[in-house]
Amino acid sequence: MNLKKHYNVLFTIVGLLLIASLIGCTKESTVGSGDADEQSTGEPTKGGTLNVAFAADPDTIDWMYTGATSTRDIGWHIFETLFALDKEYKTKPMIAEGYEISGDRTVYTIKVREGVNFHDGSTVTAEDVVASIERWRKVSSVGTIASEYIEQVKAIDDYTVEIKLKEVYTPLLSDMAAPKSALMIIPEKVAKEAGEQPLQPEQLIGTGPYKFEKWDRGNEIVLSQFEDYSARKETDWGGLTGKKVAYFDEIKFKIVKDPQVMINGLKTGLYDYAQSIPPDLYQVVESSPNIDPVKYINGYSTITPDKSEAPFDDLKVREALNHALDKKTIAKAAYGNEQFYSFDGALFAPEQTELYTKEGTDQYLSYNKEKAKRLLEKSSYDGEPITIMYANNFADYEKISEVTKQQLEEVGFTVELVPYEWATYLEKWQDPANWDLVVVGWSTRFSPNELGMLVMDTASSGWYNSGRWGNLLDRWSTAETGKQKKEILAEMNQTVYDELPFIKVVNESTLDAKSDKIKDYTSWIGQRFWNTWKSK
Amino acid sequence: MLQYTIRRLLSVIPVMFIVSIIVFLIVHLTPGNPAFLILGEDSSQESIEQLEKQLGLDKPMAVQFFDWIKNILTGDLGQSVYSSEPVSQIIAGHFGPTFSLMLISLLLVLLIAIPTAIFVVWKRNTALDPLFISVSLIGVSIPEFWFAMLLVLGFGVAIPIFPVAGYIPIMEGVFNWLYHLFLPAFVLASVEVGLVARMLRDGMLESVNQDYTRTARAKGIKENSVLMKHVFSNALIPTTTVIGTTVAGLLGGTVIIETMFTIPGIGQLLIDSIHRRDYPVIQGVVLFIAGIYVLVNLLVDLLYAFLDPRIRYD
Repeated sequence: MNLKKHYNVLFTIVGLLLIASLIGCTKESTVGSGDADEQSTGEPTKGGTLNVAFAADPDTIDWMYTGATSTRDIGWHIFETLFALDKEYKTKPMIAEGYEISGDRTVYTIKVREGVNFHDGSTVTAEDVVASIERWRKVSSVGTIASEYIEQVKAIDDYTVEIKLKEVYTPLLSDMAAPKSALMIIPEKVAKEAGEQPLQPEQLIGTGPYKFEKWDRGNEIVLSQFEDYSARKETDWGGLTGKKVAYFDEIKFKIVKDPQVMINGLKTGLYDYAQSIPPDLYQVVESSPNIDPVKYINGYSTITPDKSEAPFDDLKVREALNHALDKKTIAKAAYGNEQFYSFDGALFAPEQTELYTKEGTDQYLSYNKEKAKRLLEKSSYDGEPITIMYANNFADYEKISEVTKQQLEEVGFTVELVPYEWATYLEKWQDPANWDLVVVGWSTRFSPNELGMLVMDTASSGWYNSGRWGNLLDRWSTAETGKQKKEILAEMNQTVYDELPFIKVVNESTLDAKSDKIKDYTSWIGQRFWNTWKSK
Repeated sequence: MLQYTIRRLLSVIPVMFIVSIIVFLIVHLTPGNPAFLILGEDSSQESIEQLEKQLGLDKPMAVQFFDWIKNILTGDLGQSVYSSEPVSQIIAGHFGPTFSLMLISLLLVLLIAIPTAIFVVWKRNTALDPLFISVSLIGVSIPEFWFAMLLVLGFGVAIPIFPVAGYIPIMEGVFNWLYHLFLPAFVLASVEVGLVARMLRDGMLESVNQDYTRTARAKGIKENSVLMKHVFSNALIPTTTVIGTTVAGLLGGTVIIETMFTIPGIGQLLIDSIHRRDYPVIQGVVLFIAGIYVLVNLLVDLLYAFLDPRIRYD
C-alpha cells in the first residue's frame, strides 16, 4: 500500500466522523412534536418492555424509610396504600373500601377491600393492615407525627380495622396518603420481620400492578407485570388511585446518570422514558422528532436564614433580606426557560386544590431596594460578612446563590458564598456556625406537617421557633371542614411572610422526556407507568 | 530469579498497608455522613444517631480502623452501609464490566499499535513517519470525553451502528457483549495506542542501527526477518513497561468512560460510593484498584527480569 492510499484511508475516517457529527447536529435542530398528556392514537396493546432511564440509584425501595424521590417513584409501582391522592391531590381510598368516623371523631373504622392480592399469592386482611400501620407509626416521618395521636389500632374482623385516637386528629387519612411517606400495605409477616429496618429486596411484596423481579445495584431494577393484580373497579382517578392497568410485561429502571446519554438513548430507541433532564436541554428534547417533553410540578426553591444567631435572629434583617431580593431576576438567571418556574407565594402548589390558597402571600414579591437599605440600617446588622451555603451539585441553586449574593451586596450586606458537594453540605447544615443562609429546594409536600423547612428547631428550618406556627399546626390537627382548613392555610401563609423563617424563591417544574411510542401517558408528580402502553 | 521474585513479592506488603492507612484516613476525614444521606434532609437527629450506631459509625476512628484491618486480614472487606451486601461481592459484581472493557481496549491497543509501529519502521525515512507522529500525538492529546461524544454522536445517533450506552454480560452472548463494549473500548484505547506505538517505534529505530542488527544483515538474513527477530524482539523489552502503565491507564480511564457509556463497572461504583459516603465500599474499591496496580507493576518487573536477566542482580 502506498502513502497516498494511507492518506485516503485517514481522510475517509476523519470525513466520516465529521459528516456523522454534522448529521447529528442537524437532526437535533429539526422542529418536532410536543405534549406528553396526549390522546391515544390506537387501541392499547399489552406487552413489551418499558426501558426507563432513571437518574438515581435508590438506597432502598421502601419509601416509608427514606424520603428520596427515586425510592418513591419505583415503589409506587410495587406498593399501594390504604388511601392515596388522586390527580387533584385529594385523598381517595385505594386498598380501603370505605371508612366511618365516630361522632366524637376519635374512632376511625376502615373497611378493607376484599380479595386484594399480594405479590406472594396471599390476600390483604385486616391483620396485614394493622401490622403495616404499626410499622408506619415507627418508620415514616409523617407516621411518627400521626402516631402521637393514635391510641390503638386493631382488627375488628377479617376486613375491618379500627383506629382509636387519643384526641381529635383530622389529617389522619391524608397523612396515610401523603406520597413521600405514605402508609404502604405489606403482608403482616414482612412488616413484623422488617420492623424499623428498610425492606430488603426479598421483602418487596406489595399489591401494586407490577411486582419486584430483580435489582442489579448500580445497573437496573426490573419489575414485571403482576398478573393477579386486583384493580379497583372505578376509572383511573389519576395520581396513585383508581383503576390501574399494567400493559407492559416488564419495566426496567436503568440507572443512567448523564442526561445527554438519556437523550441519545431516547433518540435511538434504547430508552422509552428518561427522568430528570436539566431544563437547559428542553430545546433539544422539544426539537427531536421522536421525543416528547413531560413536565410536572416539583416543589420550590428557598433561601433559609439561620435564626438561632445574629444577624438573622433579628426580624428586621430578615425583612431587609426579603425586600432585597428581586425574584424575577433570580429566576431568570437560575432557570432560564420560563416554562420551568412560576411565581407563587403560597406554601402549596396551585394544583393542590385542597391545600392551596393565595391568601396571606401579598409580601411574596416585595422587592424594594430602598426599603431593604433602610431596614438594614435600623437593624442590628453590623456589616459582618454573612455566608450563603449551597450544594454545588445543583446548577440552579448555585445560580440562585450567586445572584442573591449580588443583590444582597447592593443593599449593604457583605456576603461570602460557601459551596459544598451534597454529602458535605448535609453535614455542614447541622451546625449554625457554618452558615447564615442556605439555598435549597424542597420537593412537593402534601400536608403542613410535612413542610421540612418549617419543622421547628431543626437545622433544615434554620432553627425556627414560633409559638404562632405551633399553634397553627395544632389547629390544623382539629380542623374539620374545607373552609376551616383554608382559613388556617391562609394564616400559615401570612405567618411565613410575617416571621420570614424562609424566603420562597419560585415554584419549580421538572422535565422528563418520553418516546412518542408511549401512548396515553399522563404525568403527575413523578412517573406512573400504569394505564399507559407502547405502540409498535 | 526465585530470590528476586520473593523480594518483589514481599515489597508489596508495606505498600498495601500504607495504601490502606491513607485510604481509611482520607475517607473518614472527608465531611459527609452516610446516615444522613440515607435518611434524607428531613430526618431527625435521633434517627440519624440510631442509624450511625447500627452502622458502627459511632465508634472511635481507631477502633473502626483496627476492626477494618483485622477483617481484611481474614479476607472480609466489610459490608456496604447502603445495601448491606458484602463489599467483596459488590466489587466482584462490578469488576466484570471493567475487566471486559479493559481487556477489549488492551487488545485493540496491541492490535493497532504493534503492526503500526512495525509498518512505520519498515517504511522509515518516508513521509509516513511524520504523519504517524502527528496522528499518534493527536490520539494522545484528544480528551477521552470529547472523543467519546464525537463517536456516540457519529456512530450511535447519526449512523446508529453501535448502542449509545449500556452493558451486556458475556454470558448473555459474546456478540452482544462485544457490540456494546466496542465503542467505549475504542475510546479508551485511543489514548494508549499512540503511546505504545510511539514507544515501540522509537525502540525499534534504536535497534535498527545496532551492531547485532548489522551482523544479522551481514549474514544475509532478509530485512523482514531482521526487523521481526532482532529489531522487534529487542524493542519489546522497554515496550513491556509501557504496556504495564497502559493497563494502569486503562483502569483509570474507565472511570470516565463507564460514566459516559453507563457501564456498571468499578469506576462507576467508586464515584457512586463517594457520593454516598459508603465508607467500606470506597475503602474496598480503592484497595482493590491499588492491588491491581501493584500486581501489574509486579508482573511487569518480573517479566522485565525474565526478558533481561541483568535486572535481577540490581
